[in-house]
This record gives sequence, C-alpha cells and structure tokens, in this order.
Amino acid sequence: MTAPPIRATYSLVDHHNTPVTERTYRGRWQLVQFGFTSCRVVCPRALAKLDDVLDRLGDAAAAVVPLYVTVDPERDIPERLEAHLEATHPRFTGLTGTAEQTGDAAASFRVFTRRRDTPAGYDVQHTAMTYLLDPAAAPARYWSDTRDAESIAADLTALLAAART
Amino acid sequence: MSHGVLTREQLGHLRHWDNLSRQLPNDWSLMQGKGVSQDDFGGYRFQLAYMVYGLALAHRHRLPAAPGLFAPTIRRLIEKLLMPEVWLYWRDVSRGGSVFNAHLSEGLAEEWDPVVRDNIMYSAYVQSCAALHDQLFGTDHYAAPGSLTFRHWSFFWGGPEKRFAYDRDSLTEHLYWLMVESGYLGVACEPNCVFQICNQPAILGFRLHDQITGGARADDVVAGYEKAWADFGRLDDAGHYAMMISQDTREVRPNERPSPWVDAWCGALMNTWNHDFVHGHYRRQVADFLEPGPDGTVSVPSAPARQVMGQEIVSDTCDFGWVAAWASEMGDRDTLDGLLAHADRFMTPTWRDGGLYYPRNDTPSDADGRRTEIEPMSGNVLLGYARLNVADGLRRIYQEPWPAGHHDAPRLAAVDRDVEVSRAEVVDGVLHARLRRDRTVPGEGTVTLAGLPPGTRLWLGGTEVTPRTPSVLDVPDGAAVDMVAAP
Repeated sequence: MTAPPIRATYSLVDHHNTPVTERTYRGRWQLVQFGFTSCRVVCPRALAKLDDVLDRLGDAAAAVVPLYVTVDPERDIPERLEAHLEATHPRFTGLTGTAEQTGDAAASFRVFTRRRDTPAGYDVQHTAMTYLLDPAAAPARYWSDTRDAESIAADLTALLAAART
Repeated sequence: MSHGVLTREQLGHLRHWDNLSRQLPNDWSLMQGKGVSQDDFGGYRFQLAYMVYGLALAHRHRLPAAPGLFAPTIRRLIEKLLMPEVWLYWRDVSRGGSVFNAHLSEGLAEEWDPVVRDNIMYSAYVQSCAALHDQLFGTDHYAAPGSLTFRHWSFFWGGPEKRFAYDRDSLTEHLYWLMVESGYLGVACEPNCVFQICNQPAILGFRLHDQITGGARADDVVAGYEKAWADFGRLDDAGHYAMMISQDTREVRPNERPSPWVDAWCGALMNTWNHDFVHGHYRRQVADFLEPGPDGTVSVPSAPARQVMGQEIVSDTCDFGWVAAWASEMGDRDTLDGLLAHADRFMTPTWRDGGLYYPRNDTPSDADGRRTEIEPMSGNVLLGYARLNVADGLRRIYQEPWPAGHHDAPRLAAVDRDVEVSRAEVVDGVLHARLRRDRTVPGEGTVTLAGLPPGTRLWLGGTEVTPRTPSVLDVPDGAAVDMVAAP
C-alpha cells in the first residue's frame, strides 16, 4: 500500500486546549482518526479497533500518537473531547478547533464530512479512514474502515520495525 | 469450457468492432449520434468503452484461448478513447450550466484535464478499459508512466500544449480518492450530478486493479457506497433505479417517465457486485419496458423527447440497445432473443467489410408502428455486446479472475486481421480452434501459437500439418477448419 495522496496538515488545539499542528508530534508516528463524540456506531467501532491495534503493538505503541480529530467542532469543545476520550479511549488525544480549522484539517486529509439533521438534532456523516503520518509528519499509510485490527497491526509493526533498522 | 462456436452474427460484431478500431484518427464514420459536443450516448467514449467491454466478454467467455485476437483491438480502441475529440467536451461541460445546476455555473472554471475532477462518465472508462486490458492479458502495459496521457495542441487556438499524464495505477489511485472525498456516494459526471450508474465502471475498474496489484479498493468502495446510498435508496418510489443525486441539495432524481436506459444500463453493470439485488428487481422492472411484436419479436418503446426550458432535448436514448445488454447479463434468453429478432427484422442489419452492424436510423417507426429508430451506440455496439455476452458475464469478470496459469497456457498469441476465429479454448491441455481465412479484409492469413509444450503436434481439418515455423500457422482459404494442438 502506498502513502495516501493527502497534504495532512492541520492547525488545531488538543483536548487540553494547547495549540497543535502536524509538526507538534514530529519524532513519533501519528495515527489519525476523524470522527465526533456523538457518533453512535462508526466512531466507537473505529476507536475500539484502534485500541486493539495499539494493544497488539505492545511496547512499540509508545512510538505512536493516537489522535482523534473532530468533525463536529460545535459540540466537541476541548473539555468534552477530554472527558469522552478519558472515559472511553484514554490513549487518544482529541483535536478540535474552529469550524474553519477542523474543515481545513478534514480537507487536507480528503475526509468527507456532511452535517445531517436528525430527529435528535444533527449528526455528521464522515469517512472513517485511518491515517498514519511518519515521524517527519509526512503521510505514510492509510487503512479503510473495512480493514481489521489484525491487518492494521501487522502493517504498523512492519513499518515501525523497518524504521528502526 | 467456453460457450461453443461463435455464430455468423457474433463473428460479424467482432469484425465490425475491429474495423471501427482501425479507422484513421478522427475518422468517426458510422459513429456519429444525434447530439452535439459529445453529449450523452452520442459520445464516442461510450461506443469505444463498450466495444472494449464487449471484446472482454467475448474473450473471457467465448474465445479464452485467443488473446491475440482481442488485445490489439482493445489497445486501438483505448488509443481512440484518449483522443481529444473524445474528451475535449469537458473543457466546456466542466463549467457547469446544465439544466440541473445552472446556479453553479458562476463558480466553476474551465478545466482541461478530463479526469482531474468530476467527469466520471469519461474517466472511469479510461480506468476500467486499461485495467480490463492488463488483467485479461496478464500485462502491465498501461502501468507504464504516461501510458494514459491526455494531450491537445492546436496550431489555430488554445495556446500551449495541454498534456495530462496518467497511467493505470495513478488514474486508479486518483479516482479512488475522489470517491473517498465524496463519502463514497460517487464522483459526479457533469458538475454536481452524481449518477448512480456512472460510478459502476469505476467500481469494476477498482476490482480489476485489485486483481492485478492486490489490495481491496473495490471492497472498500462497495462497502462505503452501500452505506452512502442507504440514505437515499437505490430505487425510486416506482421501483426503478434512482438516476442521480445533486451534490449540493442531496436531492435524488428518480427515473421519472420511466426511461428504459436508466434501469437497463445500471442493472447491466451493477450486477457485477450486487447480483441478488439486481436480479431480484429485474423481472418487474423490465416488464414496464417491453412491447411484444409479431413472431416472437420484442421491442422497447422510448418515451417522447422531453421539453425543457422551451427546448426539445435531442439525444440518443439507446433504450433498445441497453435493454438488450441488460437482458443478456440477466440471462433472460427469451427477451434477448426477441429483441435481436426485432432488430434483425426491423433495424436493417448491414454487413460491411465482413462486419455486422445496425446503421443509425432516426425514423421512429415503420408504417406498422414497429420501432426502427436505432442509434450508433446501439447499432454498432450494444446489440453486439448483448449477442456476445453470457448470463452474468460481466459479473464473472468482476468475481472470477482467470485461473492460475491461464496466461501461460496454449493460445493464439497473434491473429492476422484476415483470420476469423470462431473457437479458441483449451480442453484438457489441448488447444482447439476453428479458423477461417476471410478475404474481405487484408492480411497475411496466419495465426501465431504460443504456450505449446515441446513435442506438440498440429492438426488442421483432421490432417496433421507442419507449420512453416514452429509457431506460425497459415490458415488455408475456404471454409472454416478446426485446428487442434495436442502434446
């Protein structure tokens, strides 16, 4: 699998309200998932899968920064992201920003997003691709939603091992 | 085992496609439709691409041991598909302004690159035809950098040369990411217009690319596509295929009238990955379109031309041809036979240079009200496609790659233009072919054999022969003869 043809740039804040860009995490591999905390099906499944991936990596997971970028900045303010992730997927750092900033981030990863009205308010349709940026913050890999934890972990393990040699 | 010996009519369609593929650059004789500027099915891209698809079906299911008959024709057709006359419409259409999205035209700029955004009604054919070629013939021909280059330069206008270089892999990658960006709903044709059907060739292309290179893009796209369309429904309220969706308003346009081509085109292609759904709705859908005629003939009436903005829409509907192609994919032999019988009786089958086609006729019907109207897309391509296809034929190309070892098996590796091949298959390690020298077209009258084990012996018409070289066999004049190459 080749590197995705994406810019992979962003200028956001993390869930501690600290400004971050893709360069902030240079030196580590960024595992990037887009979603939103109100998501009822796709995101919980994707984040649980990535937790499984990180478990499978063992100690090597220390080289990976798991990031969860919101596509719903209106509701996913830093405090909400922090509370949600600490309760459910504590290894992940949530990233948010203004609507323009999160929109730019989604566009730079070529993530589709669309707000859709629902009886309960609204949700945000989005593609559930998982991205990997290398320690230089350049796009390295992507995995579609259909890839399972085992195969993603195998790819990642091989990549991390190759980078160490 | 293939599907037996080709009929005279099937051979005639193959010859006609080969003849069209050999027309001089920008000679589009017999291929011009009613409309202007390559609009709709009058566009050369559709004829060229579905000739490639039809050749692929014929090779895969009927003459699997004759790659040398098909590969050069497919390459010539793809070469024509890349010609500016085929895609230059995009420079204008990219600006928007269709009746569906006139409000967008202010925000859209002229785009020369015909595959960079939208226009999946062209780009997916380039992608899928190149992938079909490479998958069928076990080659990386179109993986060469720049092998799919769109180039235009005129002495008289347009400034510097326009050149957009792609290849099988880069174009597939590009279309995949356009699909991702769309949320898997699909890439637009005209700006803002995502047609359900027009993304089917891209899915076929992704699958073939997966078969060539490994990977699972087609599965990814199909999974996402299913979810994305679940919000809108594949079928409209009347049970026919939804035609398109507007990207900005998310409004779905039904198959309003309904038009046969919408269901038939979509069903014929979507069957590749969605067999049960397509088959499950086919009988009820097609029943709305068929009109029985005399002696078992069956026709497909077209709805009257629509009036929009005070204008009558001039287009090639290809309703008749598309329903024939659909029936062939569904394995509906009765309907297909009835349609072909109608065409043979009322649509002036014509032989030219050994090729069979049904020439364009703009007259709606004869004095008895029998449909006579036929478009170049139907008359040149779709009726031949239907005649050469087998039940679930395109689906099987999608689902079942060649068996291991196919490309090294005994085969006709090259076939001169003047040799007609009506059988070519390997049965229990023995190559069987039926060959005829066709003097209506020029050529050297030989076939070139490959993949034969050492010590293979050749028989022609039951008599053992020694070819003039170990691999080149002269085909004698006269009636078709059976060739057997056995270890």
